[in-house]
This record gives sequence, C-alpha cells and structure tokens, in this order.
Amino acid sequence: MTFFFQNLINALQWGSFYALIALGYSMVYGILMLFNFAHGDIFMVGAYIGFGVATGVTALASFGAIVLPKWLILVLTIIISMFLTSFVGMLVERLGYRPLREAPRASAAITGLMIGIILETGNLALLGAQRVRFPTLIKSETYNISGVFVTNKKIMIVVVSLMLMLALHQFVRRTKWGMAMRAMAFDFVVVPLMGVPINTIAAMTFAIGSALAAAAGILFGVAYPVLDPYMGIVFGWKAFVAAILGGRGSILGATLAGFLLGFLEIFVAMIFPSTLRDLIAYSIILLILTFRPHGFFGEPYSARLRL
Amino acid sequence: MALLRVEKMSHEFGGLRAVNNYSLEIEKGQIRGLIGPNGAGKTTIFNLITGIYKPTEGEIYLEGKKITGLPPNQIASHGLGRTFQNMQLWRHMSVLEHVKMARYSRITYGLFGAFFGTAKRQREEEEIEEMAYSLLKMVGIAHLAGQIILNLPYGAQRRVEIARALATEPKVLFLDEPTAGMNPEELIQMMEIVRKVHKNLGLAIFLIEHRLKVVMELCEIIQTLNFGQVIAEGTPEEIQNDPKVIDAYLGKGTVI
Amino acid sequence: MNEEYGKIIGITHSIKRKARSLFSEVPLLGWLFGMLIAVILERYVGEALAESLGLSKIPMLFGVVMMLKNPLMIPSTVLYLFTIFVLPISVVARLISGPANRVAAKLLDLPILISVIIHIGLLYAVLYLWSEASAYRVLTLKLTLIAVILTLSLNVVNGYMGEFSCSHPGFMALGAYAASVFTVVLFVDDKLFGHALLPAALAPFMFPIALIIGGIVAAFGALVIAIPSFRTRGDYLAIISLAFMFIVKSMIENLEVVGGPRGLSSQPDLASLPTVFIWTVACIWVTNNFVRSTMGKALNAVRDDEVAANAMTVNTRRTKITAFLFAAFWAGVAGGLFAHVLRYVNPGTFGLQKLAEVLAMVYFGGLNSVYGSIVGGVSLSMLGEALRPLEIFKWIIIPLLLILIMIYRPTGLVAFKEFNVGKLVMPKNKSDQRKSDGAASG
Repeated sequence: MTFFFQNLINALQWGSFYALIALGYSMVYGILMLFNFAHGDIFMVGAYIGFGVATGVTALASFGAIVLPKWLILVLTIIISMFLTSFVGMLVERLGYRPLREAPRASAAITGLMIGIILETGNLALLGAQRVRFPTLIKSETYNISGVFVTNKKIMIVVVSLMLMLALHQFVRRTKWGMAMRAMAFDFVVVPLMGVPINTIAAMTFAIGSALAAAAGILFGVAYPVLDPYMGIVFGWKAFVAAILGGRGSILGATLAGFLLGFLEIFVAMIFPSTLRDLIAYSIILLILTFRPHGFFGEPYSARLRL
Repeated sequence: MALLRVEKMSHEFGGLRAVNNYSLEIEKGQIRGLIGPNGAGKTTIFNLITGIYKPTEGEIYLEGKKITGLPPNQIASHGLGRTFQNMQLWRHMSVLEHVKMARYSRITYGLFGAFFGTAKRQREEEEIEEMAYSLLKMVGIAHLAGQIILNLPYGAQRRVEIARALATEPKVLFLDEPTAGMNPEELIQMMEIVRKVHKNLGLAIFLIEHRLKVVMELCEIIQTLNFGQVIAEGTPEEIQNDPKVIDAYLGKGTVI
Repeated sequence: MNEEYGKIIGITHSIKRKARSLFSEVPLLGWLFGMLIAVILERYVGEALAESLGLSKIPMLFGVVMMLKNPLMIPSTVLYLFTIFVLPISVVARLISGPANRVAAKLLDLPILISVIIHIGLLYAVLYLWSEASAYRVLTLKLTLIAVILTLSLNVVNGYMGEFSCSHPGFMALGAYAASVFTVVLFVDDKLFGHALLPAALAPFMFPIALIIGGIVAAFGALVIAIPSFRTRGDYLAIISLAFMFIVKSMIENLEVVGGPRGLSSQPDLASLPTVFIWTVACIWVTNNFVRSTMGKALNAVRDDEVAANAMTVNTRRTKITAFLFAAFWAGVAGGLFAHVLRYVNPGTFGLQKLAEVLAMVYFGGLNSVYGSIVGGVSLSMLGEALRPLEIFKWIIIPLLLILIMIYRPTGLVAFKEFNVGKLVMPKNKSDQRKSDGAASG
C-alpha cells in the first residue's frame, strides 16, 4: 500500500507537468481550432527562461544587492518567467499563425512544428550542446508519512500547478476576456462579427498557454534540474495527446487527461517493466478513444480541415 | 403503389420533436411541394428521408422496399437523389468531376481497376463522362465542364447540384430550395430546368420552396408544414385558400 | 531613377519571355536527352575540369557543400556546374527539340505505355550515370526516392483525403521490420535468427515479396487505427495515429527477437538503385492511377464535403479506410526499402523526427498533387543533404523556408495539380502535337 501511495505522489507530480502543458494546447485548440505543435518547445523555452531568471536573481541576491529568501526567489522566478514566456507565445502566434489564419489548418500546424524546430535549434546555437543545471531554489526535505516518502518539492509542484489551474478556471469563467474566449470556442465564425477582436483573443490565448507552459518548465526544472533543448519534444507531443483526450477546449478535460496520462505512465512502469511504459499507456489511450472518440468532455462535432 | 411512401415518421432532437407524425406518398412522375415557415422542419424531413438523420419513429419505403435506417449512400443508390439548401459542393473539384462522382455506386471496375488503370476502367470512365456531359447539357452548363466549382457564378453552381443529383439516377429527386438567393431571371431559368428534367427523365420531384410562386406553378400537390407537423395538403388552389396555411405561413390577416 | 528601374524590369521580363519562348517547344524527351549528355560529359571530363578549376573533386550535390565550406570556391563551382550541366542541357535540349518532338509524336502512335517506358528508361539512365560518380550520390539518390514514396503516400491521406495522420513513421517501421525479418531469416546467417533457410541467390527474386509483406503488415496496423477513427470525422485521427506511432515504436523496442532498442542489422544488400527506382515508379504510377479515377476522386469529395459525398452514393467509410490502408501499404514498402538501403534499422529512427520530416515534405511540395510530392520529397531530402555542412543551422534554414512557403503558398508549392502522364510525354510544338492528338488523351 505504501508502495501505491509512493507512486501516487510521483504520478501527481508527473501529471502536473502534462496537465499544465496540455492546458495550453487545449486552449489554442478549443478557441482557434489549431494544433500548436510549437507548444512543447515553448515549455522548453519557459524552462530556460526560468533558468536565466533564477540564476540572475540568485546572483543579484548573492552580490548583496537585494536580500531575498530562497522561496521568494522561486516565486519571483515563476512570475517573471511566465510573464516573459507569454511574449514568446504571442510572438509565435504573430509570426507563425496569424499570417495563416485563412490557410488550411494543417498548414498552420506545420508552421508550428517548424517554429518548434527553430526554437530547439536556436537554443542549441545560443547556449551550445552542454546541458544546463537549474539552480537549486528549494532545499529538498523529505517527510516520512507512515512509510511514504514525500518531498517538499513534490508537494510544492502539485500545489502550484493546482493553483494555476484554478486561476485559469476562474479567469475563463469570470472575466470578460474569458467569456470572449469561451464564446469563440463555441462559434469561431460568428464571434468576430460581434465585436470581439479575434487577434486580441488569439494573442491572449497563446500568451496564457505559454505562461502555463513556462510554469510547468520551471517546476520541471525544480524537480529534474537538468535542462536540454530537446526536452520539450516528447513532453509536448504527449501533452498534445492529453489535450485532445480531454475533449475539445475543455479545461477540466485537459487537466484530468494530463493527470491520467501521468498516472498511466507511472503506474504502468510500477507494475510492468518500465520499457513497456509507452506501449501500455498509449494502448489504453487508444482504447479510450475508440469508445469515446470525442474525448472526456468533447461534444460530437464535425470539424472540417479548411483545405 | 406509391413510389415513395413515408409512414408516420417522427424525429426528436434531444427531447424536442422536430418532426411529428409525418406521412407522404409520391407517385411516379409527380411533382410535390413542401412549404412552411422557417424552422418548420422541412430540411429535417429531407435529411430524414435521405438517411442523414435516422427517424425516431416511422418507416420509409421506396418502391415498396423499406429503406428506413440505411446509410445515406445506400439510400441514394436506391434512387433518392437530392440537392442541398446551402449547396454542398466540393470546392476543389471541377464541374465534370462533380457529376462523375455521383456515379460512384455504379462503378464496377473496383479497386484493382482504380490502381492499375485497366482497359475496363478506361471504358467505364469514358461512359460515365459521356453521361455526365449529357446531364450537363440538359441543365445548360456543358461549356463549364472543366471549371473548378469555386470559379462558377451562383446560378451555375445550383445547376451543377442538380446535374450531380441526376447522375445518381434517382427515381425521386429532392430539391431543397433550388431557387434560394436567385434573381428573377435566374429563377425563371431554374424553373425551366426543373420542368425540363421532369419531362425528359420522367422523375418524381419533391421540392422545398420558400417562394410561393415557384411551388404554385410547378407542383401538383403541396404540403404545408408548421412546427414539424403537416397542417394542410392539397392542390395549389386548395393550399392558397386554406386559412390555416395563410395563418401559419403568412401571418394572420394576410391575403394572397 | 524610376524610369531606369522600369527599364531594367522590362529588360529582365523580355529576357524571361525570350528564354521561355526559346525552350517552350522542347519536349520532355529533349530535356532528358540533354541531361543524359550532361551526365555523360561529367563522367568523362568532370574530373579533369574540376581539377583545372582548382576543385578538389567533382561537386557531389551540385557543389553546395563545397561552396558553403569554402566561399572562395564559389566561382569555380558555379563555373563547373555551368559547363557540365546548365550549358550542355540547354544547348542540347534546344538543338534537338525538332527531332525530339518528331520522335515524341511518333512514339505516341504506339500505345502510350511504350512512350512512357522510354521516358522512364531515359530518366533512369540519367540518374544511374549521375550517381555512378560516388557511393554518396547513390545513397542520397536511394533515400530521396524512398522519401518520394513516403511523401506521396502520406499525401493521399493528408492531402487528397484532408485528414491529419501522424502515424507514417509507425507504418514505415512495421514495413521495415517485417521485410527485414523476412529477408534475414531466409537469406542470412544471423545470430538472432540462425542459419539462412534459402540460398542467397534467390534473394533478389524474393525481395519484392519481402516488401509486399512489409506493406501488408503496415496496412494491418493501419486497420487498427482506421476502425476507431473513421467512425466519426474530426481531429481524432491526429492523436489516434500519434498514439499508434508511440505504440509501434515502443513495441519494437520491447521485442528482443528483433534486437529491441539496439535495432536490427545485417539485412542483405538487396535494395539496389534499379530496385528502389522501379518501386518508386510503381508507387507513383499506382497512386496516380488511383487518385485520378472516380473512385480516387471520392477522397476529395469526402474531404470537401462528406455529407454531400454520402448523399451522392459515395461509400465514405470504405473510401476513407481504403485510402488509409493504401497509404500505409506504401509507407510499409518504403520502410522495407529503407531498411535494406541502410542495412540497419533501429526503433529510434521511426520517431517524432521522422514524422516532422515527412510532414514537412508533404506540405512543402503541395497537397493533393503527385507533382507536389515528388517536388517535396526530392527537394527537401536533397536540401537536407546539401546543407549538411551548416550543421545545426540547417535546422533553422529549412524550417524558415517551410514557414515562408506556408505563409505565401499555404497548400504547398505545387498543390492541386494533376499529374497527367499523357500530357507530359507529348511533343511540345504545335504541328507535332496536332498529329498525335487523340493518341495522348489517356
């Protein structure tokens, strides 16, 4: 049983990453009907920006310019990086997606894929091939709760993720802009006619998604401090699967699917040899989609690729 | 025996009864009309009979054979051709390809022929093409055969739809508002085409129309629909003078 | 200033027009003949010319590598390319355009197949003589041809049918492993599979069977995706196929019988240039036949409006599944060829990177177009090779190029263009065209 709970904690942490990234995918997909294949790499960029900010702030603090406790540095890092990465997201939207708004959706997906490759390669060109270490901002502490080992990092990661998801939920439910987004997800064609500026909404969607991805990147850096330029690829595609599994544009769906994916991967690895992880996890997803082709919360719709 | 018989068909959309207890009999060579205010369920009836939706209750027979619940492509190959209200054409295909496509279910060369370009396929494709041309000639757009559909004027696109529906060799042709959005001149031409098609091919035609002038001139029997229910059925004169129709369709106190 | 600018524009325009009119009557036969002369020229004088121009060896892939490595070499490389390729091809093509047209017209009196075979034969001769110069050229050429098969087959799903499939690397992997296991078991003494069961001399004859088995295995895999995803239409194919790709990769990694993550090697050397070439031609021929038939056009109808297609008697479900299995079959064949060209495969090859590559080729070349797939497959694989000396910057230039293409031509370079073989092999001048009119309608 302790074994189970141990893995549950791990799965929650792992699922947090997937869920946070999947949210960005899901928003872009739900609102703009686009696959943003650059999103995984925005996660990577976010982690690197977080690395830069954290290093910068730590350096400032150590020079004595400012006196900050470590946890505050982490909070600052998350906030500043989310802010900065949201600009990366908006830039991607502006350069890669907006010119293609009238084009087939698949072409936009390809553009996203290519932007992703440019981000990876650009990073490699800028920082070189060696991996960078994310600075230690939290001193790891392990608590033993009746045999289950829980680290403060894991708790922090899960709590911060849940808080961000809740914040997003409130934003979409309560604010004017959130309502505009939901309206757009409901009817892409009509809403722009009703005075909702599509460009603003699109930019905002990308910005929010990217900010969440950046948060995921930093949290990932806290848990697994080694960053490399290609870390976003696998995460990105898997979060993409989670996003669609959740149902078109459903925030709750993407969150749940993200956690589900995390659970599947961890628990499959717990029961079976870890090499079978992908095989079994994705077979289960294939099965779920066979019986629920619109995902958890998606409604049947007949999307047509605008070709 | 009626060519097409619909018996007590009903349909519900999530608890809402869109069509209630609808019955219809079309004889060979007859032109029938279906009128009614917006949202009365006219297009839903078309979609039900042609198999796009499945009726919750009721049966549909074509030449005495039950076709209820069959997939649309099978219903179409049994002899129900149709056009769409908002013209569902294939935007990247040429006019000729549209008409040829509707011969799909009659193709016998199979995948082998498609992959390896057998002589049989050559022959068959030529036959289909010839037939397509003759249909295009009938609706008067043979000269546009090679054009991509997007480049065509509105009226011509409507004609393509009719030629395409005819290529399925329908026994009953369903026309969903064939004159929607047309100017008076185009309207007269379209009515000409409907008459010509009817005369040349001896089809039964079932017509949804918004413009009373068109139905009154073309149809032998007209049904009036309101809130998914037939409220009147009869000859144009009868319909024109039916107070229920005048109420529902034109609003109270209007005189035609 | 403006006037002058206008004048320059005018001059370049007239030059363009002149150049076009100069070559407008050259039939394909003439071009092929010109290329043949050029590659023969390179074979006999290439080395000497390269040496006298101060080049260390003849430029392998049109000199891009040389020019990038050493910019000082640009003039001599350009000069080399001009004297060996541009000049002979244009001069010969222009000079023989008269006789070439007459020959092309004569050929069309015979069944069109003969004319096509002669053209393909000439093309093969050109490619063969060109690639003979080095093993590197042969390898690049083979991989390029395989890329064409892959691109074309994916185009059937993503372009002609308008779905977004991500499982091509998975199908390719299935084909590669199935074909490899077949040939390794039968013809190779291998530590994994034991002694060869059949004499190696039989191998070349059995290779087509191996490839077809690879294709069929891939098509079976496709069935796993097709059944759940074509009940409804939407974007679910995208992730179902993506999940499938992960599953295939992971499955192979776990199959120790075929070497697991280390991969499978020692495939017999069966994928010679002519073999790869013939399979590529076969793929283009069959696919082109398919997409030009009314049955194949049903794919477009399903893409553009499925409800209407259904109402016009098209069995949309069957159409979609057929196309998907068809595409998977060819991806499997391509995988089989790929495995036997490299004579080593590992599951890592068939991952997200391969997916990005194939998708890029399809959308670069052009949707719904056989020409487009040929252009996309050839140009991106050649470009990938040629830009190799740029190292990682290659992966900035190629994506940028693709983004620009997507912005200015969202459906790709040569999208929605029909590949009409009859028209292609026709004579290009009016008089000969008229003579052979009717013969070329096929």
